[in-house]
Amino acid sequence: MNSLRSWLGATAALAVLASPAFAQSPPGFSALDKSDPTKSNQNQGLKPHPVPPTVTPVEKLPVDKIKLPAGFKAEVWSSGHPGARTMVRGPKGTIFMGTRAIGRVYAIVDRDGKRQVKTLLSGLTQPNGLVIKDGALYVLAINRVLRYDNIEDKLDNPGTPVDLTAAFGLPDTVHHNWKYADFGPDGKLYIQVGANCNICEINPGIHGQIRRYNPDGTGMEVVARGVRNTVGFGWHPVTKELWFTDNGRDWAGNGGPEDELNRVAKGQDGAFFGFPYCHANGIPDPDVKKPNACVGVTMPAALTGPHSAGLGIKFYTGSMFPSSYKNVAFIARHGSWNREKKYGYDVVIARTSANGKAKIEPFLQGLLDDKTNQFFGRPSYVMQMPDGALLVSDETSGAVYRISYGKPRVASN
Amino acid sequence: MKQRFLRIGRSLALGLAAFAFSAMAATAQPAAIAERLKQCSACHGDDGVSKLDKIPSLAGQPEFFILNQLFLMREGVRKIEAMEGMTKDLTDDELQALATHFSKLPPKASGEKVDPDLVKRGEALASKMRCASCHLPTLAGQEQMPRLARQRIDYMIDAMKAFRDNKRSGADTSMTAVIVGASDADLTALAHYASQR
Repeated sequence: MNSLRSWLGATAALAVLASPAFAQSPPGFSALDKSDPTKSNQNQGLKPHPVPPTVTPVEKLPVDKIKLPAGFKAEVWSSGHPGARTMVRGPKGTIFMGTRAIGRVYAIVDRDGKRQVKTLLSGLTQPNGLVIKDGALYVLAINRVLRYDNIEDKLDNPGTPVDLTAAFGLPDTVHHNWKYADFGPDGKLYIQVGANCNICEINPGIHGQIRRYNPDGTGMEVVARGVRNTVGFGWHPVTKELWFTDNGRDWAGNGGPEDELNRVAKGQDGAFFGFPYCHANGIPDPDVKKPNACVGVTMPAALTGPHSAGLGIKFYTGSMFPSSYKNVAFIARHGSWNREKKYGYDVVIARTSANGKAKIEPFLQGLLDDKTNQFFGRPSYVMQMPDGALLVSDETSGAVYRISYGKPRVASN
Repeated sequence: MKQRFLRIGRSLALGLAAFAFSAMAATAQPAAIAERLKQCSACHGDDGVSKLDKIPSLAGQPEFFILNQLFLMREGVRKIEAMEGMTKDLTDDELQALATHFSKLPPKASGEKVDPDLVKRGEALASKMRCASCHLPTLAGQEQMPRLARQRIDYMIDAMKAFRDNKRSGADTSMTAVIVGASDADLTALAHYASQR
């Protein structure tokens, strides 16, 4: 098989050199990927932004740039944890934080009134998926599922985890397979398996899914299909329906297709959300074509902007914010890379309605300078604290901002 | 014969570097960057241009790229046995100083034998795979993406195989997505081409 493949490769390459047909030969990044940047009319030099692996000094954090609706304020809650992304809170108050390339999981604790950051785990392959359940910390890296029982009692030495990797049997493809995971109201562990390309025919039996499992890795069911790359989801506090962000494809223009906020309606488990054939509000894909590309596709609840990269989503159930924020979803938009004029780098709210639609409104702004096309931070995930304040992680600065409403409070560090 | 000599030279250099390292660790004092650089030079060359098989040149690599890779090696995300001891006690500031140093050295070709036919084939492949989109048209690299121009051929072949075979994590997973399914022959051609830029 291997020799056949290299033989085919060599033949293809010879054909490429020998004939003027090269220009029309199948375009794309790879054997799998069908995207063609040259057709997109986009600057061919667009590329993902780097994530600094080193600490950003407190005085350089962009907290002063943050703009919020009247009555809200932002302050630095913690910093010194490069690559800050996912956040979960243990029953004893420890905040655990996941990262991607840097491979770390942090534990942030309050000791003697001071916030302390500790690197709990390191050397993992993109441990973005963190879940707390019954005192145990689940850590999901690319094709790895680890469980640290009673984690808050052993922050100084987390020891050897229960390795559930084989039980979950996730695919080992790395692209779009850094994990997001959470326990649903049904007690099942929900895990995403992204499309292993920008745009391609995926194996629908494996990729482009949200799945749910029993906590031990048995009983897998597919909850949503045709999902390109969701790395944030949550359940509506009243309807208990699953809502998820989804990142649209790249190299199909600066204008989109726009990213999506989606809902899996009650009784619609296994619904198909369109990838790779149909994007946004019914845009057939220009590169992976099939007749009636959007037939049978569940349309998004809302569009969340071109290349905006909506990651974390949390429905607000606290009492600190005004009542108009009750059950409203906060969405962290990481910000665009595949777009000449940058977009996102903010937190928006989604006001959802029972018919499965949602309205997107701005909330946290100021981290993108439209005039200079420069960004100062990349909101990644949002989390609600017991007092009702909202924590927002910033991957670029390795910091967490606390968003509060009402009487100003004194920061504890 | 020359190959064999180089290999002996390489293990010798590694041994010396390891010795220097343990001697330093014993004093429990952070070595000055000049001391650190001596260890780096043993394999990567005084001028940051590697003369050893499969050891990458560092001269002219983007500053952020070097910082990031040293960081990933220190943290055990990118596992290179020979680099484990070298990096494990380095502070962020030391990593940054090393990155700044090597990024400022002028890149030079390794002197490996280059096959012009492979260069031609590699050029067509590189255009098809759009290497320039991240590594720049000059292949000089930028930010988290390495310089390929004038890098060692044998090292680049190994590095691309590692990405293709899921054995290396980069700053992102994009490289794995780009190179999936490429044959060894393709990677060899790409490396010959890139080394000549």
